[in-house]
Amino acid sequence: MQTLIKILLRYSNFLVFIALEVAAFLLIVFNSAYPRSSVLSTANDAIAWQHEQVSEIRGYFNLRSQNEQLAAENVALRNQISSMDSAQFRQVIHYTGAKAVQMTTDRLHNYLTINRGSIDGIIRGQGVRNEEGVVGIVRTVGRNYSVVMPIINTHTNLSCRFAKNDYAGTLKWDGKDSRFAELADVAAHMVVNPGDTIVTSGLSPVFPEGIPVGIVENSTLKEGDSYHTIRVRLSTNFKRLKYVEVVQNAHQMELEELTHGLD
Amino acid sequence: MDWTKQIGRYIVVMLLQVLLFDQLQLWGVCHPYVYVLCLLMLPITLPHSAEMLIGAAVGLVMDVFCNSLGVHMASCILLMFMRPYLIGAIVNDKDRLNEQISVHTIGLGAMIQYVAILVVIHHLAVFTLAAWSWQHMGFVLIETLVSSLFTVLVIIGYNVLKYK
Repeated sequence: MQTLIKILLRYSNFLVFIALEVAAFLLIVFNSAYPRSSVLSTANDAIAWQHEQVSEIRGYFNLRSQNEQLAAENVALRNQISSMDSAQFRQVIHYTGAKAVQMTTDRLHNYLTINRGSIDGIIRGQGVRNEEGVVGIVRTVGRNYSVVMPIINTHTNLSCRFAKNDYAGTLKWDGKDSRFAELADVAAHMVVNPGDTIVTSGLSPVFPEGIPVGIVENSTLKEGDSYHTIRVRLSTNFKRLKYVEVVQNAHQMELEELTHGLD
Repeated sequence: MDWTKQIGRYIVVMLLQVLLFDQLQLWGVCHPYVYVLCLLMLPITLPHSAEMLIGAAVGLVMDVFCNSLGVHMASCILLMFMRPYLIGAIVNDKDRLNEQISVHTIGLGAMIQYVAILVVIHHLAVFTLAAWSWQHMGFVLIETLVSSLFTVLVIIGYNVLKYK
């Protein structure tokens, strides 16, 4: 027993080191698998508030382009209203406007913090879009703020389809350029042309179908490949992202409960 | 040892990190973590396990700002684990140090060695753990190189200005 205590004391620093590192690695593993903690992330009120102040100040420097963007959006919305028929009013999709408080675009795992949280009805797993197209999926929800995993995060997979023929694929990001992503799982027999439009598939309740994702920039098909390598120019400009909308599907909970029972 | 001074420096450095260095967008590869300055400049008379605990706490706070729970924590613990061994290897006459490690006490050459080695270890750990796959190793290495260079320059600059 005494020798054991002696050995423990002799290596106590090393043991402390190992214990602390194990704790840190457990945090990394559990947090990336299923991030629960809204306190230990930028969804934390105090930290998001600080980011919001910084973004407020930075916001003054591009008011002009923001105004132009909003004006263009107004025109588009007016056109949409005038072409709406009464059937569309029975929709189950509701949008909640939110402001981007903080966003990174040049890392492998980029995140976006928005100023809406659980008190605004935000739930983990809801889709986020802006007027240009798809932005990402809500990852962590705090009281007043939430963290969104954008499509420019190497962990994100988004189910998409070609607008022209409903052929589905999976959008992934390679971590390099925030303007481009890759569309995987498109079989070789499909004809892919530069300029083809990619939209959300609507296969999950996260996004309604038909929200713009991007446009095919180029595609390559090597001899013997069974899938295309497709480079997609994303519709959303993440570098100047400011206002977003959270997609709240009234049936999302119900749909998820139904599919959950199937696993 | 003057705790108010250490904590004051920590707060100032963290503010600079979050408000200034985290906002940098230099070619998408420069993400300097200058906050390690507080860890590198800690007095060398602390018990080794206390150093590692301080590292864990400082790293955890940084993680909250980066949405990367555990990544900075693990890297800072590693940094604080290596620190006494590196000081032992670089500095011959430890008694002369009088608890403070700086350009003034160990000279510019030794200080650059000390800062550069620990910063590279820390940054490499952060970027590797954040990537969490070998697939992006090329990017991670460039990111480490550029960001470490920036961090080392800032920390050495601070030292030269403060203790010249």
